[in-house]
Amino acid sequence: MLITGIKSRPVYDELTPMATGLSHVAAAQGSGGGVLVRLLGEMTPEQLATTTVLYSTESFTGKNHLADLQAFPVRELLVFPSNTEAVRGLDAFLLTAEMGTRLYLSGSEGFIGTSMQVATSYGMNTDEVLREHAGSFVRRVWCAHCSHYSENVTRRVFRCPGCERDLVVRDHYSRRLAAFQGVKADGEVPGELPDDEELDT
Amino acid sequence: MSEAQHGSLRLRVDRIEPVTPEINRYTLSAEDGSWLPPFSGGSHVRVLIPFDDGQTRRNAYSLMSSPYDTSKYQIAVRRIHDGKRGSITLHEKVREGDALLVTTPANLFPLSKHARHHVFIAGGVGVTPIYSQLDELNLKGGSFELHLAVRGPEHATLGRELQEIYGERVRLYGDGDGSRLNASDVLAGRPLGTHAYVCGPARMVDDVIGAAHAHGWTDSNIHFERFEDLGSTGAPFSVTLARSGAVIEVSPEQSLLEAVEEAGHKLPYLCRGGACGECETEVLELDGSIDHRDDWLSESDRCTNKLIMPCVSRATCTKIVINA
Ligand code: FES
Repeated sequence: MLITGIKSRPVYDELTPMATGLSHVAAAQGSGGGVLVRLLGEMTPEQLATTTVLYSTESFTGKNHLADLQAFPVRELLVFPSNTEAVRGLDAFLLTAEMGTRLYLSGSEGFIGTSMQVATSYGMNTDEVLREHAGSFVRRVWCAHCSHYSENVTRRVFRCPGCERDLVVRDHYSRRLAAFQGVKADGEVPGELPDDEELDT
Repeated sequence: MSEAQHGSLRLRVDRIEPVTPEINRYTLSAEDGSWLPPFSGGSHVRVLIPFDDGQTRRNAYSLMSSPYDTSKYQIAVRRIHDGKRGSITLHEKVREGDALLVTTPANLFPLSKHARHHVFIAGGVGVTPIYSQLDELNLKGGSFELHLAVRGPEHATLGRELQEIYGERVRLYGDGDGSRLNASDVLAGRPLGTHAYVCGPARMVDDVIGAAHAHGWTDSNIHFERFEDLGSTGAPFSVTLARSGAVIEVSPEQSLLEAVEEAGHKLPYLCRGGACGECETEVLELDGSIDHRDDWLSESDRCTNKLIMPCVSRATCTKIVINA
């Protein structure tokens, strides 16, 4: 079957304050907010005072940690109604950020993946970034036929909103695209779809 | 293209130019005029310096000619009174028209491919590897600046040469205007994705690393080269090649790869600096331990003692057999 242990999927860390950083930026989405609450709780007052938090309240599971985040005396707390806007906010923050900055990411795989693409475009290295997955492992899928990205995919077979093809979600995660690949489901025998199933990894 | 014979190239000294009271620049080319093996910015070669008593020293020198012109190699040699006589012999004995044996270029000081901006800091003859790096960046359109400290105007020739090519991007300190290079000031307030490269005396290297850490930089953005630790040196050992049964002695001043080549055998290689993975070789038998010095093998690979990177790593052993 298609499911195996997914080797290409990133290995996640556990967010903990990076002591050598002089400035910190923590971005999270949905359930990732809970992870940030834990992270901020481990920070010294000096670290909190040099930390900017970006939080997107968009959530697949419906969890909202905004109230808890507001309790911390951080440098800045920026709230966004969607993940796309939060990632754009991160981009704007990194544009003027200096060396010595540490980045913390938490949320869905799609959110972490797109945020990581932004961080990489600013030349941030893996030793300047920590990532912790939170919430369900819904997948972000890239359609190999029309290049459309679909967020929060939970089924093995689904219809691509970009080109209306039935796609089967493969188990290969591309870091470059920050997504799993979706390919035409009846590619081998037209009209014959593979078994649908819930994606549980 | 010229091919290395027994691990070294035989080159003719075309030109010797004194560039400061202590530094000579040597231009070398193949005796038959053919292309030399290509190299990337930051590479060095080792020059085999023969002594009258039959001994050979292998001194490492950075290539300062353009990586885009392999009709010649240029190196700068500073006369050092360290008792080892290597650089003195080059200065006093070698004349234009002479032949020199030189190893294939290796790079332990390559440019970062992901940097958004490159900051070079160098002292004196430490500017030499940066010559080829700037050339590479200039052609690729990379963003960079160089901060070079010299001991006085008569030592500033190379810096002024670079200033002429790159203008304001080259800043000289100590060229008679009383300015002093302060690493912390140079590195302060840099945008994300800045990489620093330092080459110079040990104190300067430590200074720059310390200043970068104090500004919150992580190690992946700090690159340095200390002339002392170029190449693979250490205690001698002998190695057995499984396929031919040949037993080869690796002397203190050569790498396992160089020794194997010198004995007339071939091993695959690309970077010769422990980074690319090309030379990875299986260890079939080992009585002792491997001194892993590469950046290629994973921690778990190292622990198994089943693989070695001959371009940089050595062994402390009574017996080692490799699959070659
Ligand atoms: S030749 Fe590149 S690692 Fe040895």
